[in-house]
Amino acid sequence: MDQSINARAIILAASAIGVGFAMIAGIGPGIGQGYAAGKGAEAVSMNPKSGKQVTMIMLLGAAVAETSGILALVVALIMLYANPLVGFTTGTIVVAASAIGAGLAMIAGIGPGVGQGYAAGKGTETVGKRPALQGPIIRTMFLGQAVAQTTGIYALIIALVLLFANPLIRLL
Amino acid sequence: MQPIAFGPRVMFEIPILDGIPVTETVVNTWLIMLVLVVLAILGTRTLQLIPKGRQNVAEAVVEVLNNLTRQTMGDDKTGFAPYMGTLFLILIFMNLLGLLGLRPPTADLNTTLALAVITFCMIHYFGARSKGTGTYLKGFAEPFVLLLPMNIMGELATPISLSFRLFGNIVGGLIVLTLAYNGLTSLSTSLGLSAFPILQGGIPVVLHLYFDVFAGVLQSFIFVMLTMVFISIAMD
Repeated sequence: MDQSINARAIILAASAIGVGFAMIAGIGPGIGQGYAAGKGAEAVSMNPKSGKQVTMIMLLGAAVAETSGILALVVALIMLYANPLVGFTTGTIVVAASAIGAGLAMIAGIGPGVGQGYAAGKGTETVGKRPALQGPIIRTMFLGQAVAQTTGIYALIIALVLLFANPLIRLL
Repeated sequence: MQPIAFGPRVMFEIPILDGIPVTETVVNTWLIMLVLVVLAILGTRTLQLIPKGRQNVAEAVVEVLNNLTRQTMGDDKTGFAPYMGTLFLILIFMNLLGLLGLRPPTADLNTTLALAVITFCMIHYFGARSKGTGTYLKGFAEPFVLLLPMNIMGELATPISLSFRLFGNIVGGLIVLTLAYNGLTSLSTSLGLSAFPILQGGIPVVLHLYFDVFAGVLQSFIFVMLTMVFISIAMD
């Protein structure tokens, strides 16, 4: 009995660390969106007439750049409110390490966050210069941002596998 | 605390071969197929030379999808428009299904991987057909033969990243919304409002707007655009 309570406490503690690690991914969208916002301000100062379009592209691009932050939040919220690892009574150390690992995986979100924010900034800048080309610019920006998201999605998949369908626990 | 299940529920089992489980994903896909077929029949019944009413809407949708294909793939590949248009429509309907409180079929890797495998087969079939099979296969050994394994790995990564991108985005939104609804339910129960759960009524709208409408439409668009871009690159 005492053993199982200890196991539970260790898994919960590891989940707490994992949640903290996961949120480090927020660095990425922060930098990226800041860059996009800076480019937006610059574009408006160059060509005040295109202000509305510039703001729209900036917000759309920044919303996509937010994705990896949201995915990190998803993993953190799962571990806080719907932790699937709590029930395990065997292999405590593996389960605890999986919780930390799931959090660590989400740090990969920094990359897509910065990269997508950079794309959003460039999109904003060019729409400010040439508002007539808004359609093609926005399309290319979204496509590039989607490809830049790929590694962040891989990180999410690994985090979800560690949480919900952990193959390592079955190997014990 | 009971862990919340995020996987698709099994709705019923077909009683052959030890019972084949039919999940929510499949049932919701049938629903979307039914809606799309009914819309297509209604939109194209009694076609007239000068369109009015429903025919106007149907023509506008077809025109938008045709133009998107032509602009992205080039004039010589307009023949892909029916497939790309169907893909776009079914993805939009699937991703927006969360608005009705049903589970989006794209929140299941089986759906997205199946669609990505179709894209994968199309890339290589049309690539080989337009360049000639020999020339096409030789393309994998370029710039020099040692890169062959790298090129093949790169090709295999295409359907994987395509399917996981759609799946990851939609399932992320699904998990956030499930957690938000659960949290709001327990909040209104603790406030003594369990008979009138008004908290669940308004607050999730913002989340639905971002995760279902914005992310859903954007991801459908991106899946179709990437399919078109990959196929036209393989053909040119």
